[in-house]
Amino acid sequence: MSITDTPEPSRRSPKRKRSVSPDARIPQYDGAADGAALQYAYDEEMPSELQSPESQEQDGAPAKKQKVERPTSLNYVPHMTLRGHKRGVAAVKFSPDGRWIASCSADATIKIWDSTTGALAHTLEGHLAGISTIAWSPDSKVLASGSDDKIIRLWDISTGKCLASPLIGHHNYVYSLAFSPKGNMLVSGSYDEAVFLWDVRTARIMRSLPAHSDPVSGVDFVRDGTLVASCSSDGLIRIWDTSTGQCLKTLVHEDNAPVTSVRFSPNGRFVLAATLDSCMRLWNYVEGRVVKTYQGHKNEKYSISTAFGTYGVDKEQVDIEEEERKREWAFAACGSEDGRTVLWDVSSKEILQELQGHDGVVLGVDVGLEDQTIITCGNDKTIKIWKRRPPPATNGVNGTNGSHEPTPPQPAVKGTTGMLDEG
Amino acid sequence: MNLPLTDPTLLAQDIPETLTARLRSSGQAVCLRFSHKGDLLASGMAKGTIAIFDLETNGVARKLKGHTAGRTVQSLSWEKSGRYLLSSSIDWKVILWDLQDGSRVRVVSLGAPVYIAELHPQNHLKCVAALYEYRPVLADLTDASKPLQHALPNLPLRAPHEQDANPDKADAKHFTTVAAFTPSGSHIITGTTKGWLNIISTTTRKTISSIRLCSKPILLIRLSTSGRDLLVNASDTIIRTLRLPDLSNPALLPDQIHLEVEHKFQDVVNRLSWNHVAFSSNADYVMASTLMNHDIYIWERGHGSLVKILEGPKEELGAVEWHPHRPIVAATGVESGRIYLWGLVMPQRWSALAPDFSEVEANIEYVELEDEFDIQPEEELVKRRLDQEDEIVDVLTVDEGQLEREGGMAGDAGWSMPVLLDMGESDSEEEIVAIGTGQYRRKSQAREDGDEFLDGDDGGEHEVDEVEGGSGRKRRRGD
Repeated sequence: MSITDTPEPSRRSPKRKRSVSPDARIPQYDGAADGAALQYAYDEEMPSELQSPESQEQDGAPAKKQKVERPTSLNYVPHMTLRGHKRGVAAVKFSPDGRWIASCSADATIKIWDSTTGALAHTLEGHLAGISTIAWSPDSKVLASGSDDKIIRLWDISTGKCLASPLIGHHNYVYSLAFSPKGNMLVSGSYDEAVFLWDVRTARIMRSLPAHSDPVSGVDFVRDGTLVASCSSDGLIRIWDTSTGQCLKTLVHEDNAPVTSVRFSPNGRFVLAATLDSCMRLWNYVEGRVVKTYQGHKNEKYSISTAFGTYGVDKEQVDIEEEERKREWAFAACGSEDGRTVLWDVSSKEILQELQGHDGVVLGVDVGLEDQTIITCGNDKTIKIWKRRPPPATNGVNGTNGSHEPTPPQPAVKGTTGMLDEG
Repeated sequence: MNLPLTDPTLLAQDIPETLTARLRSSGQAVCLRFSHKGDLLASGMAKGTIAIFDLETNGVARKLKGHTAGRTVQSLSWEKSGRYLLSSSIDWKVILWDLQDGSRVRVVSLGAPVYIAELHPQNHLKCVAALYEYRPVLADLTDASKPLQHALPNLPLRAPHEQDANPDKADAKHFTTVAAFTPSGSHIITGTTKGWLNIISTTTRKTISSIRLCSKPILLIRLSTSGRDLLVNASDTIIRTLRLPDLSNPALLPDQIHLEVEHKFQDVVNRLSWNHVAFSSNADYVMASTLMNHDIYIWERGHGSLVKILEGPKEELGAVEWHPHRPIVAATGVESGRIYLWGLVMPQRWSALAPDFSEVEANIEYVELEDEFDIQPEEELVKRRLDQEDEIVDVLTVDEGQLEREGGMAGDAGWSMPVLLDMGESDSEEEIVAIGTGQYRRKSQAREDGDEFLDGDDGGEHEVDEVEGGSGRKRRRGD
């Protein structure tokens, strides 16, 4: 049980939810002959422009084939618009198996959509007030929802019925939810300033964390379930030990801007937090410092959720080595109050793409299985599905930066099922 | 993932200190077993049911009913991945359960009350069982319609001078009381009513070596995870540890096996007898619950000295188990049937709540940095800070060590317990009692339970606040 922070030889592993190719490796570490220690030296000495993966491999064996560069843009195009909610859509989530999309709205309903066809499968009714948050159980069979009626409900997706015992205990609006990786625990954050850990099986409160002095706006579980993160409009992010209920770390930025959402990175070593100063920050929570600040969106009033995704080189490209083909970079996504959804490269902080289409605030964003799909939702009552396409310029991967095409105008479609935007 | 944030002094401790939780489902627990991953605890009840506890929530994850009601569950044995569980009972049956759906994969009647049954470590369709006044059995359950049962020898291999004067008469009452597989499954170690230990080869089913430890019956045999240490509890009030040769080595000849007692643990003053014994996770410690006494004794094996007495519940304790890799001990109460858990409790570090402060061991001389109080234009500062964020961050790669700890939560190697959402209901059914015609009341026990768990959890009453007692610690505002 080593507690030191020394970099260990690393291996690309499946992310918690989206495990596609467990053996895909990140060559950033094992591609270079000199290993992790030297890589850290680079970090300090070299300006960021030189830290492209290419420069790290300069003393490796000379490559016979073309080296790949990180694509500087992504090309997600509008694919479908799902309509049916009568008021703003607060959150939208892919089920872990990728089959369903769940959305919750201020109209007090939850809708379950088929992720491939966009057909409405269920409308879950039972809450008495608007629903701010939803969370899928890891087996994709149960959806939890938290509402302004102070109650958390669990829904059986196969029947569309509410399970018998709702989780009752919060004294005010339930604002945020997350399932533990095993699905046996649920963490909830509420306007009553508390964070509750629930035993899902008995629908009882297991532990109440005296979390914050303002409404709790976001909660998340780390990939192995041993830590819980919570954030609040008091400007604090706290990291908790699940098994003891003790606070292990508190993160605060000096501006003390209200934090509206928090989530752990796929490997669990960082937390991504959105704040109402139009910034999204990536924290190294062990050291308690900000490692990245992402800007370019507008977020001053609404709780906007964030998401992580990955991207690689164009798979169609022929003249690259197999190892290079598997290389992946991470992006972070966040909605904006001006109708955009912004995707940043995690390391360089460059904006990779801005998805334009929503009318008004984009409240929720989620990245689907294999990162081929992004879903967004907003105050305009719609949910939009975006599909990844190869960059339009054929030499796009070689550094041209011309993919910010305006998205085609949305056909105005009424009805409760999703409509294809193209074709 | 909580390791980098956990207090190192806590991680260095390897013996539990305080009573942290009490588990109870409706029933009197008599035997216990942690799953190999350590996330589940199986408990067998006096009335024949089995409850599986989730140690993250301390709640019941599954209940298994299949043994004859009213007959005590005698032993439990987990398959490696945690998906299968073997239980045995005095109703003659051993049952192999699939915890995915709670179904019974195999039900086999062994023709006699079972003392203990254990799964083959590599093959969950094989098991060994010690039976009441009968020969021990090696059962092969591969064929569901026709399980094979091979009787194993009761009698030890004896040198001529060790033979009794009247062997037939003496041997007629010589039975096996306990049987256990070595970790590779190549051998079975059994203990007999006359204090003999036998090593039996699984393939030939012949006794290859024997040693006599005492003249009283052997009550329990436990092997460490390495398979090189043996812990024996006998009814002569002495607990013995023995070093075993590497039995999985095929080059080892039977006559090279020499067993020697390494340590003897006993209470010479009070002559306490031991109910149940267990090794710690790495076999550094030996623990035992005591007859007519409320304590658990923990000895350290290096010197054979008593290092800890765990206290807490005001009742005699039966089965004791040590968590497979954490300093957690579980024990059953003999009278109440409750399950008690001991663990480590740390006081909340106040500096974790106040990010501007840090806890320091001693006064630190404050040295002002050169530019610490320079007045800089705000935009300049922000720009500089953003420019400094130029390191490469990897939010995707997971440490090898972390993956190992997670034990492949996804994928085929790792099986995880399904979450049953109707657990609360099935529990309450048994907690509701009729108090009149058509009138029902929730058993007060149930209410008590919920409260108790929370109480125990806080650990406030037990815990001694000695680490961050505030005395002598100086607080200093950090940067």
